[in-house]
Amino acid sequence: MMELTIERLSKRYGQHWALRELSLRGAPGLLGLVGPNGAGKTSLMRMIATLLEPTEGTIRWNGQDIRTHGQALRQVLGYLPQDFGIYPEFTGRQFLRYLAAMKGLPGALLNRRVAEVIEIANLEQAADRKLPTYSGGMKQRLGIAQALLNDPELLIVDEPTAGLDPAERVRFRTLLASLTSNRIVLLSTHIISDVEAVANRLVILQEGRVLSDTTPEALLAQTAGSVWSVTVDQATALQLQAAYQVSTMITQMGGITLRLVSTTRPHEAAVVVDPSLEEAYLLATGRQAVQV
Amino acid sequence: MSITALTASGQQIRSLNKSPRLFLNVMAWEFRRFRASRLFWSQALGLFGFFLLIMWVLHWAEGIDVVPVNGGVSGVVSLSGSVAGTSAGGLLLTLPTILIVLVLLLLFVTADGVTRDVHRRTHELLMTTALPTWAYVWGRYLAGLVMSLALALLLLVSLLGMGWLCHLTVTDYPAPEIGNLLLLWVGMVVPATILVSSVGFALSTLLPRLSTLIKAVVMLAWLVGALVIPLSMGGARAPLPPSWYVNWDPTSAITARGLLPAYAINPNPTIMNETQFQQLILSVENKVPDLAGWFAPHLGLFGASLVLVLVAALTFKRSRGTLN
Repeated sequence: MMELTIERLSKRYGQHWALRELSLRGAPGLLGLVGPNGAGKTSLMRMIATLLEPTEGTIRWNGQDIRTHGQALRQVLGYLPQDFGIYPEFTGRQFLRYLAAMKGLPGALLNRRVAEVIEIANLEQAADRKLPTYSGGMKQRLGIAQALLNDPELLIVDEPTAGLDPAERVRFRTLLASLTSNRIVLLSTHIISDVEAVANRLVILQEGRVLSDTTPEALLAQTAGSVWSVTVDQATALQLQAAYQVSTMITQMGGITLRLVSTTRPHEAAVVVDPSLEEAYLLATGRQAVQV
Repeated sequence: MSITALTASGQQIRSLNKSPRLFLNVMAWEFRRFRASRLFWSQALGLFGFFLLIMWVLHWAEGIDVVPVNGGVSGVVSLSGSVAGTSAGGLLLTLPTILIVLVLLLLFVTADGVTRDVHRRTHELLMTTALPTWAYVWGRYLAGLVMSLALALLLLVSLLGMGWLCHLTVTDYPAPEIGNLLLLWVGMVVPATILVSSVGFALSTLLPRLSTLIKAVVMLAWLVGALVIPLSMGGARAPLPPSWYVNWDPTSAITARGLLPAYAINPNPTIMNETQFQQLILSVENKVPDLAGWFAPHLGLFGASLVLVLVAALTFKRSRGTLN
């Protein structure tokens, strides 16, 4: 059995509700969690990881409330926080051996697992260097490695690709995809393309509530016919930008080409184009992003 | 990153989770962290050097000048003698002050045993493992306490070492009495080490956001107890405060004063010259200190500090109410 159930979960900081009556059910596979800043993604992740107490509601792991059975969850949990610290005295290998020991891995298995996760995270060359010499990307890979030490059934990764270069990001996405067959992976990210590539389920959070719980394919299908492309002069481009959601804006010799997200035709010259997941997300959240 | 299959099953790992072993893991890795820390080694080396230096400066703890009542020189010429810094009488005069330096460093060794993780944000990685709370808190506390006692041992080594060095190089300097030295180390230094380590650790663990303030308050309180109160009372031979305070004083500064009357030098009429006078001082300064009144109160303080650590361990929360 491997089931994560979240029922009517709320979290309040002072007078501000970060999450309101959120309910979700997680099954093996990769669940992508996206939403604007302040949507409640990190609060949700930290509550599932037993680091933050809910104000209301319950989180159950295999039917057991994690408030009272947190230890059972932690035994099968791998967690990569958005930002984490290191022990500057240690090398990468020592740091991983330390966390493996804290997770209860005994000697022989510990050494083997540490070697495996170092290889998975592509840290062989840097494993015996002191941690303060690590770059941001290497530190992020170290975080991914430690999360995998105990072969977790529930893997929570919060903004894992921040700081990785494009090649590493692609490899990391592939790694995540390879881990989803026998575990639940919760991936929180701002980068929609990360989710597009690997998630079989997509949850959009906004203002602490679930705005959409769907698949990337379904979300794209819902957006079909709502993304437009048009090339106009600068003055018209500015008018369109003020009136519609603009996903891209490219200046060319013949004018400015805009991609617009709208349920109605925004301009007589606009033509329907295939939506990207990012545009589907913009349509769902009603937000605007401009790439010039 | 490469895609490598993980060879061990999660079940294999989880079946091997045992709390006592995790507790030992916490201690062992904390020792490794200390061993790998250049800062800790420089602090320890600096402390050892300071102890040696201060013992050299104070190798004569006190000079005594008296005028014989009925002597060979008809009571006109005074006699001079000195109390050895590593004798029991000498240590009662100097050890409380030297102890201040040790205490100041101990707070930085032990108080942050748990709060360091909160400040460095390694806390989240540890608290999402199956490491039991009691193993984490007690493991960190005991590792810090052992390192503190090791630093206290450096003080003993420096006392013995400088005592023997002075004996070999300084005229008339007596060899240190190992029994007396050990007794005062056990009676004054060890309780102070345990007390400060435990109180600093417990309060910082209970109130991690105030750990810097806690260190400052404990330091200030120790300075008041070990320096300000004794100075405000007058010289080393001034009248004593109430006997309960003499026995309970955690800094041992006033407690040491309570024993000093037993080390008063009263030259008798048979003392004829400075050699005889120095012999008299030697016989007095190396008397075995009477710690009977000390023992129970200091044991009580030690017990109270352990209770405080127990409270910190029992009330320690893995999860927080707010985002960091």
